[in-house]
Amino acid sequence: MLIELTVNGRDVAVDAPPDITLLDLLRDYLNLTGTKEGCAVGECGACAVIMDGRLVNSCMVLAPQADGCAITTIEGVRAPDGGPNDLQQNFIEYGAVQCGICIPGMIMAGEALLMRNPLPTREEIRMGLAGNLCRCTGYQQIVDAIEATAKGRQKG
Amino acid sequence: MPMFDYVRAKSVAEAVELLADTQCVSRPLAGGTDVLVQVRHTPPTFQRLVDVSRIPEMKIIERQGDEICVGAAVTYTEIIESALLRETATCLVEASRLVGGPAIANAGTLGGNVANGAACADGVPPLVCLDALAHVRNSAGARAVPVADLLSGPHETMLQRGDLITHFTFPVMPDGARSTFIKLGRRNAQAISRLNVAAAGALSSEGRVIFARVVPGSALPRLRRFVEVENMLIGERPSEALFETAGAEASRAMVAVTGRRWSTEYKEIALQGLVARALRQVFTVEN
Amino acid sequence: MSHITQPLEYVGRPARRVDALGKVTGQAKYIADYRVPGMLHAHCLRSTMPHARIARLDTTPALQVPGVRAVITSEDFVNHGLYGFPVRDKYMLAWQKVRYVGEAIATVAADTPQAALAGAQAIVCELEPLPTLFDARRALDPDAPQVGPDRNDGQHPNLKGDHMLVRKGDAETELANCPIVLDRRYFTDWQEHAYIEPEGVLAMPTPEGGVVVYAPNQSPFINQGNLAMVLGLPANLVRVIQPTVGGSFGGKDDIIYESSAQAARLALITGRPVRMVFSREESLVASYKRDAMHMDIRLGADRDGTLRACWFRGILDSGAYASETPFTAWRASIHAMGAYRYNACDVDVYCVYTNNGYAGAFRGFGNPEVCFAVEQTVDELAEMLGMDPIDLRLKNCLRLGDETAHGQKLNESVGLIECINTVRRISDWDRRRAEYSRQTSTEKRRGIGVAIMYHGMSLGAEGADHAGATISVLPDYSVDLTSGLTDYGTGSRTVYVLIAAEELGVNPDRVHIQRPDTNTAIDSGPTVASRSTVLGGNAMRAAARNLRQTLDLAAADLLRCDPQQLVRAGEAYVGPDEEAVAWEKIVDHAREMGLILSAHGKWEAPKIVWDHHHGRGTPYMAYVYGAQVAEVEVDLRTGNTQVLHIWAVHDIGKVIFPQGAYGQLYGGITQGLGYALTEQITYPEGYIQETNFESYLIPTSVDVPEITAQFIESAYSYGPYGAKNIAEPSLVPTAPAIANAIAHATGRRVRELPMNLERVLLGHDLQPPFSRKPVEAALKIPPRSMPQTAPRVYA
Repeated sequence: MLIELTVNGRDVAVDAPPDITLLDLLRDYLNLTGTKEGCAVGECGACAVIMDGRLVNSCMVLAPQADGCAITTIEGVRAPDGGPNDLQQNFIEYGAVQCGICIPGMIMAGEALLMRNPLPTREEIRMGLAGNLCRCTGYQQIVDAIEATAKGRQKG
Repeated sequence: MPMFDYVRAKSVAEAVELLADTQCVSRPLAGGTDVLVQVRHTPPTFQRLVDVSRIPEMKIIERQGDEICVGAAVTYTEIIESALLRETATCLVEASRLVGGPAIANAGTLGGNVANGAACADGVPPLVCLDALAHVRNSAGARAVPVADLLSGPHETMLQRGDLITHFTFPVMPDGARSTFIKLGRRNAQAISRLNVAAAGALSSEGRVIFARVVPGSALPRLRRFVEVENMLIGERPSEALFETAGAEASRAMVAVTGRRWSTEYKEIALQGLVARALRQVFTVEN
Repeated sequence: MSHITQPLEYVGRPARRVDALGKVTGQAKYIADYRVPGMLHAHCLRSTMPHARIARLDTTPALQVPGVRAVITSEDFVNHGLYGFPVRDKYMLAWQKVRYVGEAIATVAADTPQAALAGAQAIVCELEPLPTLFDARRALDPDAPQVGPDRNDGQHPNLKGDHMLVRKGDAETELANCPIVLDRRYFTDWQEHAYIEPEGVLAMPTPEGGVVVYAPNQSPFINQGNLAMVLGLPANLVRVIQPTVGGSFGGKDDIIYESSAQAARLALITGRPVRMVFSREESLVASYKRDAMHMDIRLGADRDGTLRACWFRGILDSGAYASETPFTAWRASIHAMGAYRYNACDVDVYCVYTNNGYAGAFRGFGNPEVCFAVEQTVDELAEMLGMDPIDLRLKNCLRLGDETAHGQKLNESVGLIECINTVRRISDWDRRRAEYSRQTSTEKRRGIGVAIMYHGMSLGAEGADHAGATISVLPDYSVDLTSGLTDYGTGSRTVYVLIAAEELGVNPDRVHIQRPDTNTAIDSGPTVASRSTVLGGNAMRAAARNLRQTLDLAAADLLRCDPQQLVRAGEAYVGPDEEAVAWEKIVDHAREMGLILSAHGKWEAPKIVWDHHHGRGTPYMAYVYGAQVAEVEVDLRTGNTQVLHIWAVHDIGKVIFPQGAYGQLYGGITQGLGYALTEQITYPEGYIQETNFESYLIPTSVDVPEITAQFIESAYSYGPYGAKNIAEPSLVPTAPAIANAIAHATGRRVRELPMNLERVLLGHDLQPPFSRKPVEAALKIPPRSMPQTAPRVYA
């Protein structure tokens, strides 16, 4: 079936079977492999994307459910110059990245959180990441990076 | 060949019509958090998913006189963000906060949680605690069923093929009533409830219990109010001893139904503590 | 021409991880992100029985399935694909027998993942059950069912390798003379690595008849050696490249070698690229775990708290195959008595076969298991004697100049006392300990606990310990590095870049490190045992110094002076006339002089001697040390344990890449926290019950508390700039610190891991009735549906 959606600001129409997930659509049909599969049952958040302003696990969204929606993936998170944005920069600066497989999902969760709560406490940041598993970092430097980004955005 | 087809319904009427189609076994799809896990483990028993997640009538949260109405396609996040529900259904809001990480809360719906029929579902004990009715539509008409009566066992409900839960209603609790939800999982997020308790209550002006609801989740194969516990609370003055006695009665009532299973040795102790704690939260007046 | 007396420019200063940019933008390619034209998809048929004879295996029906291109079994490998180190006991695909549920029997390559699964399901495989063994404590009984291969040395066939021992004096007699003796039993359960990237591999045939394998393995050279051996190819026709790896923690060795061999053989047969990617469920069923360990420990002491003797017996259940667990058993034996002085010590560890999945390497490698036992027993001793647990540890712990129980004199870099004193101070130990000792609540109580540890650096007596590195200047004046040791998230690539930049005196932005590739890097042994910083770092330092010498000569020539007269101003060289000459100019001049701007570096660890028969010697070149304090709140009504804070102070020598080192410490503690409380793998009747992250529970961001960490930089003279290591030791003391905190809060000891709700509340675990369903579902997960032709996308 034809699925029409906006991905990272670009309108696309994809001919795809109805029983695949949004994750499959992004990775296999649109070649946006920055979104990862970690568990495929909504437990790890490696596949998290922002759909119409809300964080979702793309493995738990049926591709046709995204028809008519605006999706932002990690490939769509960029500074105006096309380089990494402030959150991505802070992930690097604060040592929040190790193996990196969870990081796209973590950044999407961070962006989704900051959209709704521009100046979260560390505890609120942890709540915002509660659906994103990381096995390397112990989360602390990820929380540091999001906290620093929130403060930076406040200053403008 | 795709395993199943997909169609999006724009209204309850259209959804009911699609679900009634005898040529094509259909099942409602809301948040997808249960269905997509199920098709991973067992081949689907349906040929088509009818997406009801964006039907406007199923997204409402509003007060209608002395009742609160919550659409079946309302997500946990929408519950958490509702000022009306924060005021009138604390237990439901607290349960929604604990259901999983933000992505799960953004996708999962109350109707889906009930229809899935899991004994450990976090959204259901609050509905039972609130005496909620599930409003079910099919091509033959509409009916309202107490949520507790809709559940017939673990992953079993009284819902028939073609049925669609459209919304829930529950009466506004008496003045001064409070409700709470306590969850016990093996982990603080993204965890299935080992046990949970939804509880509500109100005191008379003399400080005696005039309203009590106690609904343990993950305790019985079929969720229900523990009326035996509620009855022993009515007319009493809240005290530590009362909470503990009520907790012990809840454990006794659980074991009376389940018998001694592998987990009973643990659950009978833990449930007593959780029920006592929930009642303490509901009935202890802070200054 | 040594310049190390100058202050360090890059080493030990804030730095950016060299591969972080690609990871934060989603551009980094992991194995599941690779796709090449004509690529086939592979899927394994796996055992559904814990121990069985393969009575019949007919693959022809699979070949009838539309889309299936090839099927292989053990017959398709040299010597049936027998491999394994240190015990050669496993086959790339099961031969004659299966010994655990999930063992690969045959592999199918097909046009689509669905066809590959259908092919695997079409294979006729008849399994005849054999007697099973699930209780490791019974494995060495004379009448235990035989799981391991035959042995002709008189040893029990269920023993893996040799039994490991440490001996000092006569521990039995010493214990008999101790006024205080504790005799305790401990158990630590299986642990899954739970890297968020499941296993995968991509093999491509080459025009010369060889194969290139992209494999997220830890040690590409071991993979290459195995592949050459089982495929019957010369090593030069087998190339292994490591793509970005999504976590490993010891877990991506054998399982990836097997997948590599299967995909490579299928690629050679079909002449097409073959990719195999596991689902999470397949990963949990098929992959190896941290071993489970049964431990009995006796500690003897004087009434003043002086430790006198340690007696330890460990049975390490490592399941159906040895993998690296004989080495795990050895490391466990070396660390079993903890970081203390004793008059006498008697340690025996037996590593045994069972039909419970299989175990292999996992961060900590035997030390987390034994540390859980000894650190709780020491704590209990303090309790019995009415001593503060930290005071008792300070009284007995290893200090500079001490001799270990093995007979090794500790001549340098022993920062343990400083770790303990620092963690005591920053955790406000004495105040909290006193405050929490006075609690009376029957609802929730807090507790604070400590654990200390030491951990031998690198391989020790496991084998030859050397590493190599290369460095060269490219035409664009960038500096190109290779290392035979790999980075699967650890940060070692950044460590190498910082070391090379430091030695050359150039900006780290100029320095790049290649992906590990057997064609370009120098075999440096396995990337295990937290050895990358010291071994690989020293090799890189040597390589960079060699290159630096050449550039210094060129600079001296250009600036007409003696090399000793050169100084540096940033990257530039300055001679006696005080004019700064750009580094690029020096490079140009060196080339004009005909000098080759590339170099190798090699480093070999100091020789150590270990007598396996008498359990005496020098097991490791040196040790890292650490102390952690955990603060918990235990719900007395439910057994729920919240960790409120962790303070961690570790002596890791000089810190080279601070963000990386702290990240390793936080991450290790988090894995230790999961090991302590929630992570549980069970194998009732050999069937794993936890097949995805809804049942295998690793800590989330709201389970991990804020961690306060500090490093003690007790320099090690053989380490680069005095560095030691951090990766593994970080998780070793976490579980016992939490256990000791729980005991402080509740007054009750939990002696089994994980300390789940039931064990904390009841003192024992409860297990649900077992089911084969999780495994059965896991082995037929419908694969992702891939578009067969280029998908139609309209803008």
